[in-house]
Amino acid sequence: MKEKILEVRDLTKYFEASNGLFSKKKYLHAVEKVSFDLYKSETLGIVGESGSGKSTLGRVILKLMKQTSGKVFYKGQDIMQLNPKDFGKIRRELQMVFQDPYASLNPRIKIGDSIAEPLIANRILSNYAEAKKKVHELLDLVGLQPELYERYPYEFSGGQRQRISIARALALEPKILVCDEAVSALDVSVQAQILNLFNSLKKRLDLTYLFISHDLSVIKHISDRILVMYLGEIMELATTDQIFSKTYHPYTEALISAIPDPAERGKKKRIILEGDITSPIDPPPGCRFYGRCFKTMEICKCQHPEMIEVEPGHFVRCHLYSERKGGLTNCLNT
Amino acid sequence: MLKYMIRRGLKGLLTIFVSITITFFIIRLMPADPVSLLVDPKMGPEVQEAMMKQFGLDKPLIEQYFIFIKEAMAGNLGVSFKTRQPVVEVIMQRLPWTMLLLTITVAFSLLIGIPLGMLAAKKRNLFFDKLISTLVVVGISMFIPFLSFGLLYIFAYMLKLFPTGGAYTPPPGEGFAYYLDVARHVALPALTLVISNVGTIILYTRNGMVDVLKEDYIRTAYSKGWNDKYVIRTHALKNALIPTITVTGLMIGTMVGGAVMTETVYAWPGIGRLIYDSVSALDYPVLQGAFLVLAIAVVIMNILTDLAVAWLDPRIKLGG
Amino acid sequence: MTKLLEFKDYSMGFKDDNGNIYNLLDKITFHIEEGKALGVVGESGCGKSMTSLSVMRLLPSNMVLQGGQILYKGEDLLKKSESDMQKVRGKDISMVFQEPMTSLNPVLTVGFQIGEVLKKHFPDMSKEQIRKKVIEQLDMVGIPSPEKRVNQYPHEFSGGMRQRVMIAMAVICQPNLLIADEPTTALDVTIQAQVLDLMVKLKDKGSLMLITHNLGVVSEICDEVVVMYAGRLVEKGSTEDIFDNPCHPYTKGLMEAIPSLTNKKDELYSIPGTVPTAKNFALGCRFADRCSQCMSCCKDSVPPMKEISPNHYVQCWLDF
Repeated sequence: MKEKILEVRDLTKYFEASNGLFSKKKYLHAVEKVSFDLYKSETLGIVGESGSGKSTLGRVILKLMKQTSGKVFYKGQDIMQLNPKDFGKIRRELQMVFQDPYASLNPRIKIGDSIAEPLIANRILSNYAEAKKKVHELLDLVGLQPELYERYPYEFSGGQRQRISIARALALEPKILVCDEAVSALDVSVQAQILNLFNSLKKRLDLTYLFISHDLSVIKHISDRILVMYLGEIMELATTDQIFSKTYHPYTEALISAIPDPAERGKKKRIILEGDITSPIDPPPGCRFYGRCFKTMEICKCQHPEMIEVEPGHFVRCHLYSERKGGLTNCLNT
Repeated sequence: MLKYMIRRGLKGLLTIFVSITITFFIIRLMPADPVSLLVDPKMGPEVQEAMMKQFGLDKPLIEQYFIFIKEAMAGNLGVSFKTRQPVVEVIMQRLPWTMLLLTITVAFSLLIGIPLGMLAAKKRNLFFDKLISTLVVVGISMFIPFLSFGLLYIFAYMLKLFPTGGAYTPPPGEGFAYYLDVARHVALPALTLVISNVGTIILYTRNGMVDVLKEDYIRTAYSKGWNDKYVIRTHALKNALIPTITVTGLMIGTMVGGAVMTETVYAWPGIGRLIYDSVSALDYPVLQGAFLVLAIAVVIMNILTDLAVAWLDPRIKLGG
Repeated sequence: MTKLLEFKDYSMGFKDDNGNIYNLLDKITFHIEEGKALGVVGESGCGKSMTSLSVMRLLPSNMVLQGGQILYKGEDLLKKSESDMQKVRGKDISMVFQEPMTSLNPVLTVGFQIGEVLKKHFPDMSKEQIRKKVIEQLDMVGIPSPEKRVNQYPHEFSGGMRQRVMIAMAVICQPNLLIADEPTTALDVTIQAQVLDLMVKLKDKGSLMLITHNLGVVSEICDEVVVMYAGRLVEKGSTEDIFDNPCHPYTKGLMEAIPSLTNKKDELYSIPGTVPTAKNFALGCRFADRCSQCMSCCKDSVPPMKEISPNHYVQCWLDF
């Protein structure tokens, strides 16, 4: 039985989206009652398009944004309830690698100092001179030469800068690393290097990853389990093998089908979804995928589907698989 | 739209209210005592007291303040300490002259500034652009009294091309001769203000244009087969002028009372000069009136500027 | 089959701030036949965007022509005057750019921006005729309620919709060649599928030059592929040739570096090193320092273009 390292329960984040003083308050439902477990030493891939809430989810879990409601249990404690001082000690164990390697490094600080900063800020080491040795170790870990300590970000390529960001995230010896679109801004060949680096670091340092991306191919390559999000909700959650061998949710099907794959050329019949991704502001009742789904039923319009375990460890949020399948309810009002 | 206007109107009133309150108290912090200017020291203390009572200067400050507000809302801004004229009258006499100077200044600043800015953008980083940028910096940083005295000295005194001050050579004539006379008088003050302000217009236009020309949609326009002239006229101009319009609006708002130095040097009978004279005379009521006018002008110009920009840029939703 | 567009030894460089000229594209040679779709594949810095902009002659001003020809229907586009090129752009050859969010002018309606193309190339068309055609075109690219949306502004459209508008704008004059520079990169995956589907439908109307780094997209839409690296064309051939039998080490490396939905690998092959910048291009083969099969001759001399099988060419010293 695998050990749980993080338990997320009903995590919700709304943003206010009103137009001026006198109009009615509208809310952008960025993340809606998300619940899942993260097991030690696994890579959980979170995949979704714009508006899915995947990035917001990552940030709320790390408390980079305040949640609207919900709990996140780490080592038995609900970290959402901790005050900043108590959380400070735990924060070291939960780190993040961001998407834009060009924007996330301060251009005026030497990269070595950037990597050392978390160590100084958390008072693990008292000055930059002491930190130098640790930084050299970290640089070596991510495949960069120690002499590069003295250089500035502009002297590096995108892939190298991403390595620096990873080194910085690893400085505090975290247990969980949240990678938010960490390879999306990189060229294909560099992406491969960084993905390989992530995998080798995981084994060496016994890390657990929450890997967020819109690229399902990348997610498939690196993840043990996959969580598919749409408009703030989890639509499907299962192991990588499960999701690809038997896909349950129509949205996941469409996502998989949408990716052009050289090996499948000419053979695959693609599912093309109608319309645009709907707005997460004041979403209508019923299933959020209603309107674009190619397998809708009457019930989907007014009744919100709940998560169901269709196979051991494989969860879906869809009326197609609920016990009270279609034919029963007609949406009476509206 | 109506809701927006009402909201802006209320915010504007609040701004005006706060500004005249602050003005009221600040001008009374001035070290001198207005009574001493009005009153002949030879007059006995009873007369002095009577004068103070007449002007309400014997009451506590807070009470004076509330009286002022009450009267102001009724349209009575009090009476000038110096000339005993109702303040409203005094201001209405001066306001048109300031408006005239302002209108001519803004018109010429835009007529000269926008084309020069666009030309500088087209020839960016070349000699012309650098020359213009230098002139702009010189113009903006010149100390206005220095500039105005300089122009006055050269053109009015030495070359005798223009009159040395005032809005017209009395007595005021009629018809065309009068207008010509005023035109001769307004030339130098307007020139001073234009030199001072055109630089801002040029800079904003140039930078606005340079930024717009880098945008992707300009490349798209060229890819359709259009030439330079069309692309600039149809695609670039509207976008590039938005910052210029914004800054012009704000400029107008502040120039109403802000041309103090220019109007004083040229003895131009506008609000600016009125402010200068009233400060020396410690004529509180007139000062309050003048600042009220200035506050109103700024608020109105802000609202108009916002409306103009919203009209130009469809992405802007008026709200909040 | 006739060659619609042909690049013959086209070379181009750029001038930096100090006036030094660096070569970027080196003797690019390939052609697109009528009715076919060609994919130009490579990573950032390989020059694929510059290649496409060269056809339209929309290169930034610091770009320098260093030799060769670009023939369209036999005529050299590089020798045409600017006004002749303007007749070609938007009508015979048109382009769809990468960033739909910024490639449309925010202050002009979508209808205006599409109608412009017609106005330029068919000046005799009336306003009503243009409007009708624009609405038809919007409908054809899948924009719902086109009569209403034709009067809307770009910010009222989503990313996918904007890209459809760009496509409508590019095909309304039924060009012989459509150049699409990373048309789906900035879009969500499901929206990408919609737009690619649309492009496949439009392919029948003319030739397509699709620039992308996504090999999957190329395999779906394109008949032929050219692979670029550091300004050189390293391999070209039909889609089957390139995907079933990639020869150049870079092409092979690229195929293996991409995580695919069907292959299961523990470790992705990653090409060591990074893409060089134009100022650091090596003499000899530009891929030499990253190539696992590099030989001594590779570093000194530029490799020749070899024909491996009919229409399948590789620029490499290796024997195949």
